[in-house]
Amino acid sequence: MNLGRNANAILPREKGAAPLDIVIAIMAFLAALALGASLIAERTALGWRAGLSDRLTVQIVPPAQDAPGAGLDRETDAALAVLRATPGIAHAAPLSQDQTLALVQPWIGSDALVAELPLPRLIDATITPGAQVDLAALTHELKKAAPDSLVDDHARWISRLKALAEAITWSAYGILLLIAIATAATVAFATRAGLEAYHEIVALLHQMGAQSRFIARAFERHYFVSTLGASLVGAALAALFFASVGGLEFAGVEAVPFLPPLGLRLAEMPWLLLVPAVSGIIALATARISVLAALRQIY
Amino acid sequence: MVRFENVGMRYGAGPEVLRDVTFVLEAGSFTFLTGLSGAGKTTLLRLIDMMQPPSRGLVTLFSRDLSVTKRSEFPALRRRIGVVFQDFRLLPHLSAFDNVALPLRLAGRRENEYEQDVEELLSWVGLGDRMRAKPATLSGGEQQRIAIARAVVARPDLLIADEPTGNVDAEIGQRLIRLFAELNRLGTTVLIATHDRALIEGMRAREMRLVDGRLVEMRTQRP
Ligand SMILES: Nc1ncnc2c1ncn2[C@@H]1O[C@H](COP(=O)(O)OP(=O)(O)OP(=O)(O)O)[C@@H](O)[C@H]1O
Ligand SMILES: [Mg+2]
Repeated sequence: MNLGRNANAILPREKGAAPLDIVIAIMAFLAALALGASLIAERTALGWRAGLSDRLTVQIVPPAQDAPGAGLDRETDAALAVLRATPGIAHAAPLSQDQTLALVQPWIGSDALVAELPLPRLIDATITPGAQVDLAALTHELKKAAPDSLVDDHARWISRLKALAEAITWSAYGILLLIAIATAATVAFATRAGLEAYHEIVALLHQMGAQSRFIARAFERHYFVSTLGASLVGAALAALFFASVGGLEFAGVEAVPFLPPLGLRLAEMPWLLLVPAVSGIIALATARISVLAALRQIY
Repeated sequence: MVRFENVGMRYGAGPEVLRDVTFVLEAGSFTFLTGLSGAGKTTLLRLIDMMQPPSRGLVTLFSRDLSVTKRSEFPALRRRIGVVFQDFRLLPHLSAFDNVALPLRLAGRRENEYEQDVEELLSWVGLGDRMRAKPATLSGGEQQRIAIARAVVARPDLLIADEPTGNVDAEIGQRLIRLFAELNRLGTTVLIATHDRALIEGMRAREMRLVDGRLVEMRTQRP
């Protein structure tokens, strides 16, 4: 049987978007938003871990009664020597007074007074990736060499961040799953509803001796194309949203501090195409299954 | 071509609409089916054109016993039958031309091959100037003529027509009957259900009459 364009000519060409196309576009928009959010959450969580888990900070806290000065410098040098002698520590360097000031500046301002505050000395150390550093032993060694030292391996901070990142990632996936199910159901429902309207045509073509395959293919194609179109529009709007949010951040409009950036990277955008692709396939499969089932009902 | 043996038909749990119907349509024959409204004419035609299976009895079509024929072979059998439905069943979104061309498309023919045939046929039934019109913009009689053109365009082996002249005047009715007769002369077996006495009197053809769901032979082919 000759398929090709003949199959297309059998169904009415719809003018403009049907209401169900609009629903599909909206669902695709939401699904693409959820998918993008999952990608961002995942990427951000990875970044947090990578940025923090291989670092160590040693603080040398000025004793309350002393004025800052020689004692602190000596302890800092001693702590540095201990760190550099410890296997597994790749790099250790003190932060300059300016760097330390820059760190505290958001909280207490940059007044001239601040310069006279007893600021702790900070040493930033990097752990060789993969190396295991015995923190208890290191802390002990540091206490001996520099009694006012405090070791912070960010463990608590990291584990909280990890938990937060995981919670965000899993929530995003959960929402994505829910929206994906709703989108699939909408597409399937829209396709079935559309087929109802064409029942007469299906029965007539069947009676005229059209093969079931041929009839199913006409519908498959029809719903694949219209669903693909509608969900592409939705996904494109979502991409536009992510791009414009990313653009704002790029232009220097800060997102809320400590919240992950909302922009999707260009390389991540193609993932959004999954939404129309999957929607189109669902529509195609639903149309095929429904038409073949309807045809089996007819003699 | 068509053989019914003790065929009975009921819809759901209703009464039997057809009872013990037995007859044979020879290949190349021309037959009228008559009967009062509600006698079961459409029901009988639906059994022949494979719209529904009989409740009991044997239907043989093109020498095939339908009760043991595989479903996958039905489409090929159906394409050998041209049907004029009592309610036309034109596809509303297709033009007159495309409606008539549909059986040819289903048979896999190309538009450039059949374009001229379809146009000639539409002219013959008096619709040469309405080829691009949609069914909704045509009168009942015009729609009926499109339905007839669609049924005959693929030169079916068997033509089934349910009240094909119900909506046209006598002159066009005669013209349509000549179309059926011409098709019959070329080898198509024809069965026409009708109330139209004038039509029947004008033809030397067999008449089968349905009375209370039973078939009565009124007359065989006239000499
Ligand atoms: N789909 C159906 N469901 C139930 N009963 C039906 C159905 N179709 C027809 N009938 C019944 O079967 C009987 C025969 O109907 P049918 O349509 O075959 O008559 P007909 O001879 O074609 O009448 P007409 O000349 O008015 O077209 C009628 O009593 C009708 O009510
Ligand atoms: Mg009838």
